[in-house]
Amino acid sequence: MQVAIASGKGGVGKSSVAASLIYLLKDEYSLIAVDADADAPNLDLLFGVESWEEEKELIGAKVAKINTGTCVRCGICAERCPYDCIKIVDGNYVVNELTCEGCGVCRLVCPVEGVITLEEVRSGIIRKTTTKYGFPLISAQLDVGRPNSGKLVTEEKEWAKKIMKEENLEHMIIDSAAGIGCQVIASLGGADVAILVAEPTPASLSDVKRVYKVVQHFREPAYLIINKADLNPGFKGLYEFAEAENIPIIGEIPYDKAIPKSMVMLKPVVETFPDSKASIALKEIAEVIKGEILR
Amino acid sequence: MQIAVSGGKGGTGKSTVAVNLAIALREYFDLALADLDVEAPNDHILLRVELQNEEPVHMFMPRFDYSKCTKCRKCAEVCEENAIITMKDGTPFLMPTLCSGCRACEIVCPVTGAILEGEKLMGHTYLTETPYGFPLVTGKLLEGEERAMPVVTAAKRRAKTLNKELLLVDTAAGTSNTVSKALEDSKLLIAVTEPTPLGLHDLTLILELAKLMGIEAWVVVNRADIGEKQRVKEIVERYNAEIVGEIPYSEAIIRSYVKGEPIVLTDSKEAGIFRNRAKKIANYLG
Repeated sequence: MQVAIASGKGGVGKSSVAASLIYLLKDEYSLIAVDADADAPNLDLLFGVESWEEEKELIGAKVAKINTGTCVRCGICAERCPYDCIKIVDGNYVVNELTCEGCGVCRLVCPVEGVITLEEVRSGIIRKTTTKYGFPLISAQLDVGRPNSGKLVTEEKEWAKKIMKEENLEHMIIDSAAGIGCQVIASLGGADVAILVAEPTPASLSDVKRVYKVVQHFREPAYLIINKADLNPGFKGLYEFAEAENIPIIGEIPYDKAIPKSMVMLKPVVETFPDSKASIALKEIAEVIKGEILR
Repeated sequence: MQIAVSGGKGGTGKSTVAVNLAIALREYFDLALADLDVEAPNDHILLRVELQNEEPVHMFMPRFDYSKCTKCRKCAEVCEENAIITMKDGTPFLMPTLCSGCRACEIVCPVTGAILEGEKLMGHTYLTETPYGFPLVTGKLLEGEERAMPVVTAAKRRAKTLNKELLLVDTAAGTSNTVSKALEDSKLLIAVTEPTPLGLHDLTLILELAKLMGIEAWVVVNRADIGEKQRVKEIVERYNAEIVGEIPYSEAIIRSYVKGEPIVLTDSKEAGIFRNRAKKIANYLG
């Protein structure tokens, strides 16, 4: 089974919750963890990963380059770039490599053959390791300033599927990126279940509603976990949303300083502070997941 | 003039810092705030305003006039996204979700009128007056669409047309090219982080991006009392950046956050932190 954990908003505790749930499920099920937040991969830090067994570079992103020696400085490329990536620097037309989408329009409209080329660059890296807890982890890291692409996540999931087949693993747990764009779509696409994490604030509510619309595109069953549940007593928005959309709330985790403390110790909170308020709530959630989702 | 608030990791307090700085900076500048976190825009929620003046962001999509198409396959060959597939006889078909709207196919097509103007709605931009004397420009990606870049570009263009003395940009999490697009042309980056290993990892990435873009970087450490401050210092020194502020974990900020009442407008000591930072920024920008 493929379970994707998403939140829309960043920093609501998606990765912390994911790490703890994976820790609580690892003994009863055979599973693989996928960190699909290639912009800011953090799951390896939460499992104290120190080294990687295997790495694959992902080449394939393209960026345009202008040969200033032969450029006639007509400015057509800058005018036609759909994303305003070409600027004049010291009298020369220059492509900003860090914003270029690699579409190649500049090369097509340039009146002089060979002035503009599209060059392949590395877009990032995908890595695999076996955690000290025994289950494999796949993680990706997008290089800074590269086009954010679902391709990295799709590659990660392909690799994870291969390992699942080879090692006969039952479940893939995916910690997706913040937002609702390509990486999140690649994480949710093909998943059997989406677990949404939100905190009781208007901003988180707004963002979880947005990511839920993406979940609906894929017609996946969704469950909701409320993190930092006691942060904002009197805020009913998440309950109203869950009821209106018929999304089961499978747990509420209170705000607990044990979570940031465990983060600094590079371990899931359920391992470092098993009796903390947060850990008790997480264990109850893991039981619901065992009984209702991973049956 | 433009400055940006970013941070790498999600949820470190970027929007809280952006909104409060914007309010504090209006004392020094005629300014606009641009929320370019188009996947999860929240500045309007923190400012407790309803988004106004909606404008659609359309992206070009090719439509094929098969009566004119010569089945030469040039459109499919030039498409870097592989969004155009061809049948055995060369008839092109578009896979709309892959299309980036760049028009390369239209440019390369040798037959006038074989590729027609089609469009796809990618999201919206908004221009909202706030009760604080500055306008807010917001970009919002449509749910289910993968490409944030057209919406970031459109929202940034809209913000720039306001021609304000200062544009304060709030970016998305991460360090992909949509974040660089938001940062582009900034004189200063305020990187908001938290001193956890996760925050530090992502802070390193955003400082790396600022370095590549040649943007001066200042770091604000949020929830400064929960982790490893020494490590923040090391990273900041490595990148020749500067720590300009520490915000303690604060119930007052959380309360103001959930209520949508910016903390800078209160008499709290946290308000003083933002007012001082605004003064420092104003001095730096001159």
